[in-house]
Amino acid sequence: MWKTVLRRVLIMIPQVIILSILIFFLAKMMPGDPFSGQINPNTDPKQLEALKRAAGLYDPIPVQYGRWVGNLFKGDLGTSYIQHVPVTSLIADRAVNTFWLALLTTTISYGISIPLGITAGRHQDEWQDQAVQIFNYVTFAVPPFVFYILGIWLFGFTLGWFPISGSVSPNASGFWGTLGSQIYHIILPACLVALITTTSIVQYLRTGIVDNKVEDYVRTAHSKGVPENVVFRKHILRNSLLPIASSFGTTITGLLSGSMIVESVFSYPGMGKLFLDSIGQRDYTTLTALILIFGILTLLGNLLSDIIMSIVDPRIRIK
Amino acid sequence: MAKEIIQVKDLKVHYPIRSGFWNRITDYVRAVDGVNITINEGETYGLIGESGSGKSTTGKAIVGVEPVTSGEIIYHDVDITKSKNRRKLNYNKDVQMIFQDSMSSLNPRKRIEDIIAEPIRNFENLTTDQERDRVQELLDIVGMPSDSIYKYPHEFSGGQRQRIGVARAVATNPRLIVADEPTSALDLSVQAQVLNFMKHIQQQYNIAYLFISHDLGVVKHMSENLAIMHRGRLVEIGSREDIYNHPMHIYTKRLLSAIPVVDVEHRAENKKHREEVEQEFQNDQSKWYDQEGRVFPLQQVSGKHWVALPKDELEREELKEEGRN
Amino acid sequence: MSEKKENTSTEEVNKKKVSAPASSIKVIAREIFKDKVALTAFIVIIAILLFTFGGSLFLNAEKVTETNIIDAYYGWGTNGHLLGTDDGGRDIVKLLIMGGRNSILIGMGVTAICEVVGLVVGLVSGYYGGYIDAIIMRIVDFIQVLPVMPIEIVLVTVIPHYSPLSLVWIISMFGWTGTARYFRAFILSQRGRDYVLASKTSGSSDFKIMFREVLPNITSMIIIDVVIAIASNIGVETTLSFIDYGLPSSVPSLGTLIGFANDPVNVVSRPWLWLPATVMLLAISLSINYVGRALQRAGDARQREN
Repeated sequence: MWKTVLRRVLIMIPQVIILSILIFFLAKMMPGDPFSGQINPNTDPKQLEALKRAAGLYDPIPVQYGRWVGNLFKGDLGTSYIQHVPVTSLIADRAVNTFWLALLTTTISYGISIPLGITAGRHQDEWQDQAVQIFNYVTFAVPPFVFYILGIWLFGFTLGWFPISGSVSPNASGFWGTLGSQIYHIILPACLVALITTTSIVQYLRTGIVDNKVEDYVRTAHSKGVPENVVFRKHILRNSLLPIASSFGTTITGLLSGSMIVESVFSYPGMGKLFLDSIGQRDYTTLTALILIFGILTLLGNLLSDIIMSIVDPRIRIK
Repeated sequence: MAKEIIQVKDLKVHYPIRSGFWNRITDYVRAVDGVNITINEGETYGLIGESGSGKSTTGKAIVGVEPVTSGEIIYHDVDITKSKNRRKLNYNKDVQMIFQDSMSSLNPRKRIEDIIAEPIRNFENLTTDQERDRVQELLDIVGMPSDSIYKYPHEFSGGQRQRIGVARAVATNPRLIVADEPTSALDLSVQAQVLNFMKHIQQQYNIAYLFISHDLGVVKHMSENLAIMHRGRLVEIGSREDIYNHPMHIYTKRLLSAIPVVDVEHRAENKKHREEVEQEFQNDQSKWYDQEGRVFPLQQVSGKHWVALPKDELEREELKEEGRN
Repeated sequence: MSEKKENTSTEEVNKKKVSAPASSIKVIAREIFKDKVALTAFIVIIAILLFTFGGSLFLNAEKVTETNIIDAYYGWGTNGHLLGTDDGGRDIVKLLIMGGRNSILIGMGVTAICEVVGLVVGLVSGYYGGYIDAIIMRIVDFIQVLPVMPIEIVLVTVIPHYSPLSLVWIISMFGWTGTARYFRAFILSQRGRDYVLASKTSGSSDFKIMFREVLPNITSMIIIDVVIAIASNIGVETTLSFIDYGLPSSVPSLGTLIGFANDPVNVVSRPWLWLPATVMLLAISLSINYVGRALQRAGDARQREN
């Protein structure tokens, strides 16, 4: 099994390299440079050029790339043009928020979808199944941002049950007070996003159960006199959980991409919002760093999926 | 003297097996491992073997749909294992195939007319009317009603579909048809029908067949010359007389003993004989197969009769045979 | 001679009696009309199409987007504006018509490109295998692990001469990989089938086989995929426009209308700005998806028959 993992990691390396090159060129395409935010408009253009040259902006591309990568390894993601602080610290603050949101979302999502999927699979074609199918269809069809808008309008503005922006109330004090306030702020976005993510999990689980129910090995178990519940738990369920385990990693990366929309609607200070703010303010260092991080996280997510898959599926493990 | 139309020389089809961390090629599946066959004009050459022996692969290689690892197939003085040679000669106009599974070899969404006309459209330049006439003629030859042309494959029975397959194969007046287990998927009663049609067509149009089968009983009815294949190599080749009456390789004997014989009185004897042959096969594996389990190269025993034996064994076997006779 | 004539006339008669495996379109139509809900969904789609595309014929794009600050922020039914006006004094109803049309058009455009590219790439990759397949799959794998939305947003910002067409290309660039994978898998499953081999021995070229023999067996799946893809691509465009990184601001889109809801003031006090567009988007998404699902069920039923 470790061989498979090692091979996957090795494959990831060229992917990361190509990703970084792609992002570097993307960054180069963006107008502006470290000095656009800081220049006094009266500066002498010749002096400006000298400054730029000193900063290495006229060096050949491969050299610039090499320098950028070198900095990356040192943990230096550059300095924000706009806020004049190291990008790393900017991102770190926000990353924590996004992380908690993702964690809660994933928990709620799996917490809802697994029971739903099982119910639908067990009671195939009965009303429980129909209800779940309808739920699935709606959450699949509607674009996520519509959900968020309606959700925040209903629960935030109209009913006033939840706060509509920020990650913590400015008035919160003390450890428990702050924690409580943070949780209070995360619940609504987490629930809404979780609803959206349940779709694929429920679908896979239901299909898995439905397909496995008619397999011969299940029939054999029945004929051996194994009680229904045990058959379901030990045989059907275990096999049906397989595709879900592997989608775990991709669910997480999906959340990251989607975080932009959620954080925008809820004004939640996470990485996604930082990304949108950076683009709006033309803060290119932060932007580049964020895309790189998003890319690597996606790759890691896929890697995680593959690893989980190889652990859970004995067929792959033995190979 | 019958004219040779196609010659297969040392044909090999190997599939690489990849394993290990770097997915390197570690071994090969030797589906076809050095096969030599010569087919003459208008004759039926039987190729027998069990599943996995490589006979279907050989057939596909001859027709040109299976890529060949090494060896040559000479037709009209040209090696047709190379696709450009096949294209140059319009090879498939002359060499066609009948498939085992009639349902899957006919495109379910095409009408019979289009199915049979496909080779005609590719290789010949007929007007629509001429084409339709030809299709009708072919249906006639295989004994199918003329309104079949507008129907779809799923509307016919297995035997009828197989006959349609035969009609398609004969469409361009081929010189050689590779029939890959054409009757294996059919009921016994229908088998005879299809075989008779095939024979009739052969006589009328002087078509040669490479008849691939696992059933020695069926092949006896159709072929003048036979080859027995095992593990990708030929174990014995010869005329019908040689193989059925003077089998020499233990594998051939085993196949022959397995033909069900309806002889109630000699039931016990037949059973004993079968068991003896099976015993000999299991025990003498090392004698008949080399260290790696592969079949030995063929040695000539007489005329057209060749057997896969090491040379010294050959003499001993010959003496044994003479002693028996 | 007369015999032949007789044959042809019986042929004509038989031609009519013969049953082809039911053509895709007939099956589709039957499925839609059988299911009442699907029929409703279908009618809703037609209604929306008529409203948006039909309505657009009467509208002049420039006049619709002309700002007239005096008229800003009228509420429901004021001053002859049925759904009010936005911050630039533009009539919401007209924006809805044009925006709806634009969003649907972009959805269709992206789907068209993705399906065609995905189809060709998938077929070629699956049919030829070997090096071609390996290289193509590497590329597909790589594109699929990219963080798509951030990159799309950046591209929207940096591409010169940005136009709606640019948006179509940007979205399509990432969208074809799914269909490519899908069609490749299908071809792989069909490649070894006997009828493909049979066509080969009958002398048909690989190209002909792919398009004339194998493809017709998948037409129903293509149709289903296209329907659902249109809905999700409309979703992609509206999402991007919602955060102001979609269509340029001079071009109306459902997303920009819904985007008004980003401002809490609008959410509470000016629902006419974003609510109608939200309703329309919901209607489009739900209906198209429902029809797509109905087709899928029909397709599955037929597969089982076969």
